[in-house]
Amino acid sequence: MPPCSTKCGKNAILKRPKTGDVLCKECFFEAFENEIHFTITRAKLFKPNSKVAIAASGGKDSTVLAYVLKLLNQKYDYKLDLTLLSIDEGITGYRDDSLETVKQNRDDYEMPLKIMSYKDLYGWTMDEIVAEIGRKNNCTFCGVFRRQALDRGAVLLKVDYLATGHNADDIAETVLMNILRGDLARLSRCSAIITDSGDGIPRVKPLKYTYEKEIVMYAYFRKLVYFSTECVFAPNAYRGHARVLLKDLEKIDPSVIMNIIQSGESLKINESANMPTLRKCTRCGYVSSQEVCKACVLLEGLNKGLPKLGIGKSSKVKKFIQEKNCKTDCLCNNK
Amino acid sequence: MCNVGDDNFDDLENSKYMPAKEKISPFSKCNKCREATPIVVLRSKDKYCKECFLSGTVHKFKALLGKHKLIRPNDRVLVVHRCGHAGTALLHFIRTGLDLGTHKKLRFEPVVLFVEDHSHLSLKERQELLKRVEHEINYFKFTMHLTSLSHLIRKGVNSEVLKNCAEILDLDDDSKSIIDNFVTKQTNTTNKTDFLNIARHKFMVDIAKELNCKFIFTPEISSDVASQLLTDVSLGRGSHIALNTGFCDFRDDTVKILRPLRLFDMKELGFYNHLNSLNPVTYRIVIDNPYKSIQHLMRKFVNDLQVNYPATVTTILKTGDKLALGSNKIRTCDLCNAPFEEESADLNSAESTQFSHWVSTQAHNSSLTSQERYIQTIEAFNNLTCDTYCFRCRQLMK
Repeated sequence: MPPCSTKCGKNAILKRPKTGDVLCKECFFEAFENEIHFTITRAKLFKPNSKVAIAASGGKDSTVLAYVLKLLNQKYDYKLDLTLLSIDEGITGYRDDSLETVKQNRDDYEMPLKIMSYKDLYGWTMDEIVAEIGRKNNCTFCGVFRRQALDRGAVLLKVDYLATGHNADDIAETVLMNILRGDLARLSRCSAIITDSGDGIPRVKPLKYTYEKEIVMYAYFRKLVYFSTECVFAPNAYRGHARVLLKDLEKIDPSVIMNIIQSGESLKINESANMPTLRKCTRCGYVSSQEVCKACVLLEGLNKGLPKLGIGKSSKVKKFIQEKNCKTDCLCNNK
Repeated sequence: MCNVGDDNFDDLENSKYMPAKEKISPFSKCNKCREATPIVVLRSKDKYCKECFLSGTVHKFKALLGKHKLIRPNDRVLVVHRCGHAGTALLHFIRTGLDLGTHKKLRFEPVVLFVEDHSHLSLKERQELLKRVEHEINYFKFTMHLTSLSHLIRKGVNSEVLKNCAEILDLDDDSKSIIDNFVTKQTNTTNKTDFLNIARHKFMVDIAKELNCKFIFTPEISSDVASQLLTDVSLGRGSHIALNTGFCDFRDDTVKILRPLRLFDMKELGFYNHLNSLNPVTYRIVIDNPYKSIQHLMRKFVNDLQVNYPATVTTILKTGDKLALGSNKIRTCDLCNAPFEEESADLNSAESTQFSHWVSTQAHNSSLTSQERYIQTIEAFNNLTCDTYCFRCRQLMK
């Protein structure tokens, strides 16, 4: 192997996909950590003396995030109060195993852990949901419910920030997916490093510019413990197309990932385009762009035996809600 | 589920049963006139008879031109011709539009340009191809100019590179090596293709200026535009999507590039040509490995996804329509001539990549603590932005 690019004298053990430079183990650790430190300080992600919840799934991204945040917090004295927040979706054979990993992280990194479960919050586990709706569209339910679950957990823990382990590959994939689906609202938000969910607890993505391959390499060389199985319900998601495309693009030229993020950051929406406005859900009070938030719609569908209510056209949902709301002495045209 | 009125089977049907395929019965009628028997089905559900299809297609072409109200009567338009259905259909649209006797006739002055660019064929095949193209353009009775890409590279754009007929266009024997030398500084196929496309674009604009044309028509169709959009995003040209994929590319002050066929798909144009008894010029192509370059991969991806999700291309186009150029752009890129933003106050991907490269190549000083090393790194790091090229062109010109 050629010598390390920093000319420290040691032999390199890997080639960085992000820049093509070759580094030895110690210089790689230092470069990896310094870049995250640079991202945090340059983008001013945290204020000192804040409380931060780290969304932990037991997977490689959240494990590395927890490890590096703790390391940098001590090394550069961020003065942050770190805690782990995990969601139990109730997927047998997947989530119950990964939760064991999160508990291990709690012990290894000496951070408090809070677990929120779908069963407690919504009365349904993912296994029960999939039994009801079938194998298609389950990612919609899980994703919507998890987002709300994380927000509620963050509020319960009274934190100032919620840090998620989204990496560069995730963001590039999301940009591509949103273009394919024509989702302008998400397209304009997905490449932001800090997103405000409207109720005051911003979400930050410190690993935004970190390649997935480098996260795996870091976890491997640092001998970090993480859970690496794909969700059992994942294979049928539309996102899979964007993921395969991204992997193929990366094989041709790894700098594509940073290019896509750059494109995503520089996209500007036409003023004349129709963009949704933020308001509050009439049922649960959470921030939503519709009258009733998606989580409430999905939940209502599940509870009423109409599991497809939240999937597909939201105009049909509106019609359904309207029909339900009309009493017999209502004067509107719905009969 | 057991009560009257609760039988809400609308949404469940889709999951329980396979979608019913509409049978083409001999009694079905054209969607538009509802009288004649349909002869073509577009988008898997719209049936049209011959007259309605032809008039609809021509109307679609004229409507797109008219909607943007850019072309004034007597403006000169450089029509770039390429072999294939799109190019032939475009020539036919223009010719029939000009010949129309009604007030709806097209009123501009077209000049057709064909740039010979098929260096993978033998010299004899290329000369024959040129003759067939000349024959086709003459059939439509247009003023034409012929040239070759290797000529443009060697001699630049001037009046002697543009010829009026195929006989006097002396093709270079070693076109392939001329083009390869031109892009030799680029390291991979993606960059070579990108660089060559920028060069072609420049040549086109210069030729339009030489021939005094205010507009250029290019025969890109919907799937070309969709794959171009995704390619631009993948190369970091996201801010230029409005120029590269919109109807009008207005980066040059005097010449505007228009894409009048951007809403058409290949089936429509193929059928249009067939019904008008037109046979486009064809030539032998090289079957490319789709993983050779990002451009090839995107084209394959869009075409493959379109099979199972027929709304793919239209959705991508619609998304592209809603994207605009940023407002605070000041500088113009020296290579691609598009406007780009100067240094931004917020952290962006370009800065992060530069920092990564900086951090990976900084000389390691083991006498300092790692915190001290970081401070040293950060102080020495200048976000070395290049002022003359945009993000992507900087990568090409490195």
